[in-house]
Amino acid sequence: MAVIGLSIGIAILIVLNALSLAYHEAARAPLKEIGADITVQRPGNVPEEMAGAVFPCSAVTIRRDEIDRIEKVSGVRGVGTALLLWVFDPNRVWIVLGIEQENPIGPSIVKNFVVEGRYLDAGKPETLVEAAYARQFGIRVGDSVSVAGRSLPVVGLVDASHAAKIAVANLYLPLSEAQAIAAASKPLQTVSPFAMGDANLLFIRVDQEKIASMASTLKGILGQKTAIATPDSFLKLLGSFFALSDKFALVASLIAVLIAVLIAFKTMAGNVAERMREIGVLKAVGWTRRNVTLQLLAESVVQCLVGGIIGLLIAFAAAFALGFMTVNIPIPWEMSPIPHFLPGGGVPLFKTLRLPVRIPWSLALFSVLLSVVIGGLTGALLSRHISKIKPSEVLRHE
Amino acid sequence: MNEAILVGVDLTKTFDKLTVVKEARIAIREGEFVSLVGKSGCGKTTLLSLLSGLERPTSGRVTIAGTEISGASEDELALSRRVNVGFIFQSFNLIPTLSAWENTALPLFPVRMAGAERRRRASEILERMELGNRLDHLPAALSGGEKQRVAIARALINHPKIVFADEPTGNLDTATGDAIMAILNRLHRDEGMTLLMVTHDTGLAETAERVIRMQDGEVLS
Repeated sequence: MAVIGLSIGIAILIVLNALSLAYHEAARAPLKEIGADITVQRPGNVPEEMAGAVFPCSAVTIRRDEIDRIEKVSGVRGVGTALLLWVFDPNRVWIVLGIEQENPIGPSIVKNFVVEGRYLDAGKPETLVEAAYARQFGIRVGDSVSVAGRSLPVVGLVDASHAAKIAVANLYLPLSEAQAIAAASKPLQTVSPFAMGDANLLFIRVDQEKIASMASTLKGILGQKTAIATPDSFLKLLGSFFALSDKFALVASLIAVLIAVLIAFKTMAGNVAERMREIGVLKAVGWTRRNVTLQLLAESVVQCLVGGIIGLLIAFAAAFALGFMTVNIPIPWEMSPIPHFLPGGGVPLFKTLRLPVRIPWSLALFSVLLSVVIGGLTGALLSRHISKIKPSEVLRHE
Repeated sequence: MNEAILVGVDLTKTFDKLTVVKEARIAIREGEFVSLVGKSGCGKTTLLSLLSGLERPTSGRVTIAGTEISGASEDELALSRRVNVGFIFQSFNLIPTLSAWENTALPLFPVRMAGAERRRRASEILERMELGNRLDHLPAALSGGEKQRVAIARALINHPKIVFADEPTGNLDTATGDAIMAILNRLHRDEGMTLLMVTHDTGLAETAERVIRMQDGEVLS
């Protein structure tokens, strides 16, 4: 009973904490895919008219000098830039993303999802088209597309359904091409002045321990209204269940262990009470108080260690089963904006992935050590009282 | 004549206001087989507890093998029992979860000794009790007589200076009780074991070399 109680308590402790870690890991996934820890956008005004190239209201100009300052902030390990535009041509609307082709931080990940043709060559005015969009409008590799008055050859198709859900588009251009489109657009300049070298999406890789503090530093540079997405932002979007489990994972698991300890203690106390006569015999044949204490302590530690190991095995089995669960991480519209009047414009976007439940060795080791400590304390408490038994008192009543 | 291995002088034991043993004087020589006889409740078991160091007297002195134990601490008494004393109880007092050899070796577990040596010594003494084929049996698998023979083996394993037997045949049928007494007599006769046996059975008491009678807490003879 003591072993079962403790093993269940330890299993709950491990599983709750492993789940919490898994949600944290899952929340990192959308950003991790694009090699960043933080994304930055500056919200602005809604375009006055939907004509030519405009910024989504969620992402207006971030100036080159601001980007340079961010690159110099302590803890920043790298910065990627991109430019997201809505281009309203007479017969078509394009969501255009200008990317740094070779910067591993940012949307250049699309190079892994080219399903036909090739990836963008450096310095060439060319484009990739999202495969579903190309199918819908009959665009093929080798065709040319006209975007804001510029003719660009289509060199490849990208299957965005497998790509990152952040910063997705219909057309992917070299950043300089997109910057040229933006710089030449009057409607865009009216809302948010833009110069070559500027961008409207930043992807920042930072030291892990500085992720939380970086948000305020960035707001200091870009203004308080700047939208900064971190893994914590995604955690918040996961909803109340996660918030509850994350906030109370430690408390809930400690309560589970405490209950398990009480069950273990009560069971062991009952067992020891039943063994009063046995302990009397041990003392009668010459066992000292220390001998009895050590014996009870060893028994208690071994029992709890076995409970801990069983709990760990249960937790591994539970983690394996929970690993089949999927989690939908909501991607805010701002991070992949599609005009609301276009198909799919108002549909919530999710990053769906298997919950990455795993039990770190440190947690496993901690749990086993915890069960040993529980065994030691329980044994010490019980033996302190029980070792004082006088053999004559328990053997007298034959 | 051998020297006294156990001496109790003016031993009195009082529980609350009830005096169970009154100024008892007793001396047992090395190699002697003494029975302590009296009716139930006359204080025999309490006197045995005082003499063996299981219990401290309210007043009086106990000396075992030349060492006075009356003022000893609990742990000193335990060590004295481990070295000097063996016990045989009426209800055997074997630990149900331990095998015959482990029960026999109980007094050796606190002693620094290899496990194999403990088992060897327990096996050797159980062989002498004709239990060589029952070494790994749990008490539940043993008969009453076998249990008491394991208890005797346990009492002898540390080569005690004196063995205290409290109603050793009390839980056994006559034939088995006789067999146990035969073993005790043989140990006394052949190996010179010093034995103090408590019994209410006067017939059984007469098998000893010397009989000490108790009545109402007092030693009569």
